Amino acid sequence: MKLDEFFRLSRSPAALPLAWIPLVATALALYLMTVTSDCWGQDGLARSGLEADLTDLSLEQLMDIEVTSVSKKVQKLSDAAAAVFVITHEDIRRSGATTIPDVLRMAPGVNVARIDANKWAISIRGFNGRFANKLLVLMDGRTVYNPIHSGVFWDVQDTLLEDIERIEIIRGPGATLWGANAVNGVINIITKPAKDTQGTLITGGYGTEEQGFSGARYGGKIDDSAFYRTYFKYFNRADAVNALGEDGADGWDKFQGGGRIDWNPSLKNALTFEGDIYSGTAGDRLTVPTLDPPYSVSLDEDTDYSGGNVLGRWLHHFSSTSDLTLQVYYDRMARQDTILDITLDTFDMELQHSFTWGPRQQVVWGMNYRLYSDKILGSDYGDFDPTSADYHLASAFIQDEITLIENHLSCLVGSKFEYNTFSEFELQPNARLLWTPNPRHSIWAAVSRAVRTPSRGELEARLDQFVIPGPLPTLVSIFGNPDFGSEDLIAYEAGYRWQAARNLSFDIAAFYNDYAELRTVEVGAPFLQESMGIPYYVLPIYPGNKMAGQTYGVEAVADWSPYQWWRLQLVYSFLQMDLHLDEDSTDTTSEVEGESPSNQVSFRSLMNLPRNLELALWLRYVDDLPAQGVPAYVTMDAQLAWRPWKYLELALVGRNLFENEHLEFSPEIISIEPTQVERSVYGRITWRF
Amino acid sequence: MAILIGLEHFLQLDKINLLPKIHMMIVYFIVWVIMTSSVSATAQPAPFQEYVVKGAFLYNFARFVEWPQKAFANEQDPLTICILGEDPFDNALDQLRGKTTGKHKIQVRQHAALSEIYSCNILFISKSEQDKLAEILSFSHQRRVLTVSDMENFAAQGGVIGLITVQNKIRFEVNLEAARRADLRISSQLLKLAIIVKE
Repeated sequence: MKLDEFFRLSRSPAALPLAWIPLVATALALYLMTVTSDCWGQDGLARSGLEADLTDLSLEQLMDIEVTSVSKKVQKLSDAAAAVFVITHEDIRRSGATTIPDVLRMAPGVNVARIDANKWAISIRGFNGRFANKLLVLMDGRTVYNPIHSGVFWDVQDTLLEDIERIEIIRGPGATLWGANAVNGVINIITKPAKDTQGTLITGGYGTEEQGFSGARYGGKIDDSAFYRTYFKYFNRADAVNALGEDGADGWDKFQGGGRIDWNPSLKNALTFEGDIYSGTAGDRLTVPTLDPPYSVSLDEDTDYSGGNVLGRWLHHFSSTSDLTLQVYYDRMARQDTILDITLDTFDMELQHSFTWGPRQQVVWGMNYRLYSDKILGSDYGDFDPTSADYHLASAFIQDEITLIENHLSCLVGSKFEYNTFSEFELQPNARLLWTPNPRHSIWAAVSRAVRTPSRGELEARLDQFVIPGPLPTLVSIFGNPDFGSEDLIAYEAGYRWQAARNLSFDIAAFYNDYAELRTVEVGAPFLQESMGIPYYVLPIYPGNKMAGQTYGVEAVADWSPYQWWRLQLVYSFLQMDLHLDEDSTDTTSEVEGESPSNQVSFRSLMNLPRNLELALWLRYVDDLPAQGVPAYVTMDAQLAWRPWKYLELALVGRNLFENEHLEFSPEIISIEPTQVERSVYGRITWRF
Repeated sequence: MAILIGLEHFLQLDKINLLPKIHMMIVYFIVWVIMTSSVSATAQPAPFQEYVVKGAFLYNFARFVEWPQKAFANEQDPLTICILGEDPFDNALDQLRGKTTGKHKIQVRQHAALSEIYSCNILFISKSEQDKLAEILSFSHQRRVLTVSDMENFAAQGGVIGLITVQNKIRFEVNLEAARRADLRISSQLLKLAIIVKE
């Protein structure tokens, strides 16, 4: 713990006694769990084999078991008429990554660029930025896309990485199923069911950038039909260095805890409850405009954030071909920095029903209602008007998958019908075709429409940018534009997957995206204002919809296991962007072709060596960003892990080994000092029992 | 220590909203404790995946069917279960690994090719092979293979054992004529539970 944190704590005397309440509650809860699970645990151990092994049962007993064949079975990758990439638990464990953003670097079509130690720009198929707004992200069915600025606060999105079952990355529009803002892609982070995280896990480590991290999880069993887990994690990360090689102000620490219960009260019902709470402090160096020379000032700020969520999901099987999911969640996010103090509450309700209709059709339909309620306190540098607002989103979708030729040809048509407070009615249809000439080959094509709906900020915010010196200084300031509308995409995609051999597969996808009504920054008429007796001009700039453009690209994945103990994966992504402003646009900054790399390569080698050693090497190339003057880089991560016995894993991780440091991105809109990604080393110990 | 630091952070934030946040946390944990301690212990068992159960049936067929001596090279020869066509079992057959029946160790070969049938003792024919059924059956009965499938009317079409689902429970049909053709003896323990069908 840093000294200043200690003092800051003691400055709020009221907090200290109160701090014990949740602590005692936690301790009590953990104690109760341990005590109660002990007596359940023994029973569970003796019968734990029952779940997957029925060979001890007699024929009579077998004939008495009810079976379910879940109709919405986990879709095989080769069956999806979309560009899908899955990062598995194993990929995460062997990546050496300590954050979800760093894990995403292995996926095709995804550009992950670190801005500073706690901020990332992440997008799929172009348009990257700290507030990249065309990518929808969900954690266990809970959307973490933020309607205030349209984007994802990546520093908040976290869980115990060991509990993540898989991350599904769907490139291309996913709006029919997931709704607005799933324009260029969807990322689904899915945690394991509680049944798969039984027992205790304790992990911790230390290194040059990772200045202490720890996590623990306990998973137990209530009876054969109900399982739970609870976890917490904490980490502290060091300041990185800025472009001049000086220390930045971007240290970061965070605490998070949570849990999950999965309960199957009967054959036909499955219930899941889960929740998390978190709190952290992330630093950065912010430049804000001033009306006096030197017209700007840099300050080291801390963003304090906290929040939590609870989610409940009920899955009901009507029959082997029909089931219903009802999901409800509540999420609170609070975030306080120099410019804004944001509190956002989200309440969401979702219903989904899938059933087979006749011998050839699989229908899924659903409804969703979401309420956002926010309170945003501004500062001299920016604010929202009104400061608090409630806004809604209501939607319905229907999708029909039709088998045209059994096992060989199917098509899928569907649409989302969505209403939201800001852009009102949106229609987002798609049509997909999948041809599987034989089980080794599949070819798919799709046409879809998706929209990116306006954020509250784009309609109702003010954010000061910089001051142009002069006899009377001119403050350039972004103002919300109530007439700003949705950005629009029609995407054409095609792909081919080939299982060349049991140990060799290829996956290639190409796309052509046609955008309209893209966001621009339009210049308004300057006006005179006065602050404490000093007159100055304000040059307002507004978001407009005066840009169109096309992007196209190819992503390819080759996966090869030459031996059982060795796996290689090569991922290549290519992207071209061609954007053009309308003739009447006054924008000079939004043609952002050069903010996403044209070429990216990720090459991973995962080896299981003798003596319980595992070696993972990960080479990455990312092209330059001409618009930002960020050069191309090549770097490598390596992880050597050793399991001296089955309960213990020791790992040594080196990251960004090829150079001392490299720059990855310069942020837009809010002037944060970017810092460089440094070479780093850490050690990790993981104990399971 | 980490918990302490985390909680301190949790509290120093957003001081205006301090109380609701603590309440949220307490409520969360109370709900948690209640949930974990009051879940009914008499709940019914979790539903089993269809093919986990069908996999266990395959094991029982291996136990209660007698192959002619010629079917095995020697007593230590493994008893091979093959899956022909699209594999519906995924990892549901893992439960059979390492199991034995008599002196024969059970061996599972998923993704078998038609040309490999000669080395199979039990052949599970996936629904995907419906069109080629006649060919597969004539081929396998000459080679003393126990054919099993869950496609419709399998036993009536000449297969030895057909798995059917009746009110979410698994039943099986046996075609005695087909068993005789394949030179297989089916134990009475199996037959008394079977539905006997004719071609």
